[in-house]
Amino acid sequence: MGVQTWWRTPTARRYLFGYTLLAPAVLYVSLLVGVPFAFSLYLSMSDASVGNPVARFVGLENFKAALENATFYTAVRNTLVFTVGAGILKGLLGTTLAFLLLQPFKGRKVVRALLVIPFTLPIAVSVLGWKWMFDSQFSVINWALSRLQLIGAYGSPDWPVWLGQPGLALFSVMFVNVWRGFPFSAIVLLAGLTSVPPEIIDAAKVDGTTFMQRFRLVIVPMIAPILFIGSAFDTVFTLSDLSIVYLLTNGGPDAATEILPTLAYNTGIRAGALGRGAAISLFLFPLLLPAMILLLRTLRRRQY
Amino acid sequence: MSFQVSDNEGGTRMTDPRPAYVDPRTVGRRGFLKVAGAGVASASLLTMLDARQAPAQIKGTSLRMLKWSHYVPAYDVWFDDFAKKWGEKTGVKVRVDHIPHLELPARYAAEFAAGAGHDLIYFVGQILTGQYYRNLIDLSDVADNLGKKYGGWLESSKSAGQVGGTWFAIPDFFISIPVLYRKDLFASVGMGEPKTWDDLRNAARQLKPKGHPTGMQFSHCNDANHNWRALMYCFGVKETDPSGQNIALDGKEMRESLRFAKALYDEGMTPEVFSWDDASDNRFLASGVGSWIHDAISAFHSTRITNPKVFADTFCIPEVAGPAGLKWNVGEPNVWAIWKFSKNIPAAKEFIQHIADNQKEAMEASLGYNMPFLKEQYKKPMPYLGKDAKLSTLQDQEKINAFFGHPGPMTPAAQEVLTTFIIPDMFTRVARGADIEDTMKWGVGEIRRIYAKHKG
Amino acid sequence: MIAAGAGHPRSQRSKEIRRHALIYLGLAPFLVLAVFPVFWMAITAIKQDSDLYLVGAAPFWFRLPPTWKNFDFLFNNTFYKDWIINTMAISFWVSAITILTSVPAGYALARLRLPFAENLGIGIFMTYLVPAIILFIPLARVVSTLDLQDSWWSLVVVYPTFTIPFCTWLLMGFFKTVPFEIEEAAMVDGCGQLGALCRVVLPVSGPGIITAIIFSFTLSMQDFLYSLAFVSISDQKPVPLGVATELIRGDIYFWGSLMAGALLVGVPVAIVYNLFLDKFISGITGAAIK
Repeated sequence: MGVQTWWRTPTARRYLFGYTLLAPAVLYVSLLVGVPFAFSLYLSMSDASVGNPVARFVGLENFKAALENATFYTAVRNTLVFTVGAGILKGLLGTTLAFLLLQPFKGRKVVRALLVIPFTLPIAVSVLGWKWMFDSQFSVINWALSRLQLIGAYGSPDWPVWLGQPGLALFSVMFVNVWRGFPFSAIVLLAGLTSVPPEIIDAAKVDGTTFMQRFRLVIVPMIAPILFIGSAFDTVFTLSDLSIVYLLTNGGPDAATEILPTLAYNTGIRAGALGRGAAISLFLFPLLLPAMILLLRTLRRRQY
Repeated sequence: MSFQVSDNEGGTRMTDPRPAYVDPRTVGRRGFLKVAGAGVASASLLTMLDARQAPAQIKGTSLRMLKWSHYVPAYDVWFDDFAKKWGEKTGVKVRVDHIPHLELPARYAAEFAAGAGHDLIYFVGQILTGQYYRNLIDLSDVADNLGKKYGGWLESSKSAGQVGGTWFAIPDFFISIPVLYRKDLFASVGMGEPKTWDDLRNAARQLKPKGHPTGMQFSHCNDANHNWRALMYCFGVKETDPSGQNIALDGKEMRESLRFAKALYDEGMTPEVFSWDDASDNRFLASGVGSWIHDAISAFHSTRITNPKVFADTFCIPEVAGPAGLKWNVGEPNVWAIWKFSKNIPAAKEFIQHIADNQKEAMEASLGYNMPFLKEQYKKPMPYLGKDAKLSTLQDQEKINAFFGHPGPMTPAAQEVLTTFIIPDMFTRVARGADIEDTMKWGVGEIRRIYAKHKG
Repeated sequence: MIAAGAGHPRSQRSKEIRRHALIYLGLAPFLVLAVFPVFWMAITAIKQDSDLYLVGAAPFWFRLPPTWKNFDFLFNNTFYKDWIINTMAISFWVSAITILTSVPAGYALARLRLPFAENLGIGIFMTYLVPAIILFIPLARVVSTLDLQDSWWSLVVVYPTFTIPFCTWLLMGFFKTVPFEIEEAAMVDGCGQLGALCRVVLPVSGPGIITAIIFSFTLSMQDFLYSLAFVSISDQKPVPLGVATELIRGDIYFWGSLMAGALLVGVPVAIVYNLFLDKFISGITGAAIK
């Protein structure tokens, strides 16, 4: 086969076909994510501010500035607690719920239908609903707890102030994320569980294994990929989501709920120090790394 | 800060603190006037007729402006109609977009990056003049003209409108944040009108055990930023030197105000103040629980409607004095600006002039909320305030008005201190029991760091 | 014999009842957790405002008769109708762009054994990790260059930046589950590679494509920052932005209408979601396992 006709070979035609199919997606994301992202990298190494088009290159100055800021460390810690805590809660609630939904029972469809609503409501608006439920005076949660005699009356010291007490505030914003995310985790897990062929489980049963052994040895490995990917994508969403904290507490009181996205937004956009804001948000990447590694691993495992 | 214009069922329970929303699309001028109930019909028509002749060159152009959603929603209805009428008269196609004030900076960042957007823009609270002045047009001609016409600008307007002595923004109005207190509750503990921060503290100390605590926000919200600054400035704290370049916070006055706030919290507040947003203290007052709050008069207006009984005993004082008799009220400025890339600079300038010429009507429509920046506009009786027995006390507010960064101007560095909530966080830490020296060390360190960045 | 036959179904039935009771008991906390806030939003949506602020009164029932006023307000005093139409249109176009780009991409990555396919695939997924707060400023420039500022079309351009990576990944997994044999058979029958894709692979890929559409739809509804930065005109906003920026005026929350506005889009989407839930489940299963 001559060199000049190489492009006529089936392999070459397959390559050409393949890259043609890939081109639109690759072009789209490189133009609209890659290029802007490169621009942000440049911003993070400049002293750009919102109104100043002429920026100087300052090297790693902005990253150093972030590391000198005490609030930054609080934000990193809160971001981790928020993401990991919410992830664990979503995992636990989601798994339990998925096993329950796996059983055949009457009204399963209705239950399933009701459970997905938190996920389909626009997040910015359902957070406002939570803001009203967490209100310091008119909280429906407190009203109910108070009627059940679990807490005191309004004005008494054991009236919880959901968004005001340091630990509780972080828990409350995390809880909203969990509320929104656990039905989705359940559905993803349900999908995983449905895909485990019953014969495999039956075979394992015949071998005389206990439920826990079956769960660990048969079910977990089978649904691991879906678990990984589901949680990786969910982690990315949770980590970079600004709206819950921004709308509920804006990081307060005293940085109790400050997370990297709110700190980056308040520094970079509201205060206008674009360069430092970009640098702070780039610190999300080391935190995203575990999620990326999980993704890559699962991807590699899935190679041909 | 919330409020309502229309009257409703009333009664002793809390009712609708929501405004009578009126759709600007469906309500004509006459309809609006009925709603706002402000007796300005004849005055407004006169001003309309009297308005200066607009230059012919703007005829047939269009003007897009971006504003915030005003705390007094009826003001927006009035404003949109006012802008429409102006457009009809001058032949300019006008469109007004409103978004919540906290979202304005993101939108401006996007417009600036895009090099396109609204022809006439508006800053509120966060005055971004210092950040954007290189890309804003010089409005000194408009400012000088207005200054000459209305007896000169207040000293504080320079902080809001000028950068390096040049006007890049035209101050529209500022929101003042007075003290609203319950006369009946104060009387029940043998107290009259509070004159000093100590009076407020005493009242709260005695009233909290009776179920009437006070509250100022210890959270990441706007009100927390002004209220604690008001206390600080009354205690003699200077955030920066008059040039705004060097911080001057680190002194005994700041320590004293932190100590005072800690006592005020311990004796007079409940922990709910840590979760409050800008609207929580309005509900707190209107529910009949709060003995006093430090908030804009929109809270006053909302209580009038939602709880008339409480309202009857709610009174307003411009500000209380600190230990040395100092009185400063920290207002929230509102200013107009024009991008260099604006597609209709002449019409935008013309509109700024026009709204300034109709300040009386605007102030009336805002129910006394919009405090002017021009000296002559403080001639008594002022629109709305002059007619209201309780609010007439606010007619000298210009004498005690300060903005953040005081006594320096609102520089980008001062902005960053504001948006990262360092001052409220210092107060929060101390109220929760942190050592004052540690808190000073942390807060002053953070602020120094920010100022150093902006100098660098 | 007869006795046993009669007794068996009965014990079977009581066993069934017990099993159901246990399942319902287990589900109850989850249902309360997921649904109570929604129920609460629904109650708030039909409450009179004065009923919201009664101190110490039971917040989840009515002291004043329920009202449709908040819905009425939403439809007659705001641009809610436009917001719904915009949201539908945005979701439609975003889904279309996403499917048109990520179906071929997913297929190519999964089936064509291309050199660098893995790296390219990873590259595409990585873009999903870049948060909106980093991208919206540079994207503002793009939007304005395309002259789409203040039009909902700007969001049609921007939203695929997160739906394409997500759906490409999803579909790539899905295509791997389609047996090679069907495709080869089709090619033997004289279809080219493209013919095989269109005539054989796509028809069996329904669940995957539906899943991708549902994801595009819901992901588009979760955005706030992009729409805030790019669209400021009332009648161009999508529902989440419109509701969150126009039903909070100053510091007044129009609670009833806010809740009504959220539920009116959230609940139908939940219903559609459920209609396709089984397909959806086989869609993600196909994508992840294998």
